Amino acid sequence: MQRILVVDDDTSLRVYLQEELAEMGYEVLTASSAPEALKIIEKEPVDLVILDIRMPGMTGIEALPRILGLKENLPIILNTAYSQYKDDFMAWAANAYVVKSFDLTELKEKIQELLHETPAAVQPT
Amino acid sequence: MEKSRKLTTLIMAGGRGERLFPLTRDKAKPAVTFGGIYKIIDFTLSNCINSGIRQIYVLTQYGSFSLDQHLRMAWEVVNPEMGEYIYSIPPQQVTVNRWYRGTADSIYQNISILQNERPDYVLILSGDHVYKMNYLEMLNYHIDKRADMTAACVEFPRLESTGFGVLHVDADHRIINFLEKPKDPPGIPGNPEFSLVNMGIYIFNTEVLVQEVIRDARLPDSDHDFGKNIIPSMVQRAMRVYSYSFRDENKKEVSYWRDIGRIDAFFEANMDLVAIEPIFNLYDPAWPIRTYQRQCPPAKTIFGGDPGHIRAAVVEDSLISNGCIISGATVQRSILSPNVRVAYYAEVSDAILFDDVHIGPRAKVRRAIIEEGVKVPAGYTIGYDRELDSHRFPISDGGVVIVPNNIDLQED
Repeated sequence: MQRILVVDDDTSLRVYLQEELAEMGYEVLTASSAPEALKIIEKEPVDLVILDIRMPGMTGIEALPRILGLKENLPIILNTAYSQYKDDFMAWAANAYVVKSFDLTELKEKIQELLHETPAAVQPT
Repeated sequence: MEKSRKLTTLIMAGGRGERLFPLTRDKAKPAVTFGGIYKIIDFTLSNCINSGIRQIYVLTQYGSFSLDQHLRMAWEVVNPEMGEYIYSIPPQQVTVNRWYRGTADSIYQNISILQNERPDYVLILSGDHVYKMNYLEMLNYHIDKRADMTAACVEFPRLESTGFGVLHVDADHRIINFLEKPKDPPGIPGNPEFSLVNMGIYIFNTEVLVQEVIRDARLPDSDHDFGKNIIPSMVQRAMRVYSYSFRDENKKEVSYWRDIGRIDAFFEANMDLVAIEPIFNLYDPAWPIRTYQRQCPPAKTIFGGDPGHIRAAVVEDSLISNGCIISGATVQRSILSPNVRVAYYAEVSDAILFDDVHIGPRAKVRRAIIEEGVKVPAGYTIGYDRELDSHRFPISDGGVVIVPNNIDLQED
């Protein structure tokens, strides 16, 4: 079963995504902050990350290169309520940029596209 | 350049310079002394200043202290109040816990600089080449060609190009193939005996550069190198990649560009300065090469002694820096850095002597590079007995003896 890590400081959104993605057949891990997400990615196999941008302490854009520093080919979807971060150069390192919506059609399509295209994540050593 | 167009310059100066060992054993290659008073990076930085470029980041890594120190002493000449700077940046290790994996990775790890600056174009240079070039002419060419990326190149005889990256171009100078160290380099359209050698000077549209280094950083099998990975990949994807034929500000018959890679290349490039008509001209007021100059008294020669024991200083085809004293000795085709002493009846020829080297009375030095501070004892010989030298010093493939300053020389 492929594992998706949802990183968001909004508890209700984490729960919502967890239910929706579990229904699609994915195993879902969650983290409420970027540092927590980095710890999980360092220790556990993860196949895809859904990453919020505006989080206290460390933003998703700050976390992005750190995640890639741990696993350079791990697919990452930036999932944010704001579209202005699309211009941030570091955001370009994400595989996709999806503006948050309660209609998850676009997010689900991107997940399927990315998990279909990329091989399973490397097991941690 | 149009006023509204913004250019940021990044000089890559972090390489280990292993082929220049032992000169680089404790310092970065761009910080190695060249031409008596200069450091190798002074040529690239002088080109920037002479081109009107005053926003420069120097990306350091290996042996960065030597380089940083030189940048502070020699290059604090621009004015931050006017938005000008020459900053030296070692790897930040903020977002990733590693050194630079290659030239492209050094840009990837510094994307935040480009994010803050938001230039239209990025000029990427190497800190270890000797040449004179106006980079703004290249930028204008890049803009005219509406290129994604432009690589500067120099014409080399085709059969001497095998050790370099060679550009295969069409009649419009668009790069159609990029070959790293090809066995059979392609000729230039209309000039088949010459090839276009990549000089490691690139201008990118900023957004293209960011996309390319991110793409490359995510490829596990890449060497993260512009020459090996980024350019071939861009050419393969039919992006607008152009070659720019280097216009030499040195203004000699043959274009001058030297990659100071190996000891022999370093030695020969130094020797290019001492000919009667040197092929690389340090004396052109229109293209000054600046550096840090130590406070030293003028160079001095001595002629004297008792009748029958006259000591006459003879200096031929040499660069003699300030503070040197040549006391009744012979110096031929050599480069003396500041404060070198050559004592009576000593003979120095085809040699490079770094700062504060002392050559004792009657010592003989030939075809050698002597590091700063080495005291050569009276009567000692270097460069005359290959067998003997090979037990004492490193010797280059071309037979140049290197005398490092980490050993004491014993009197013969």
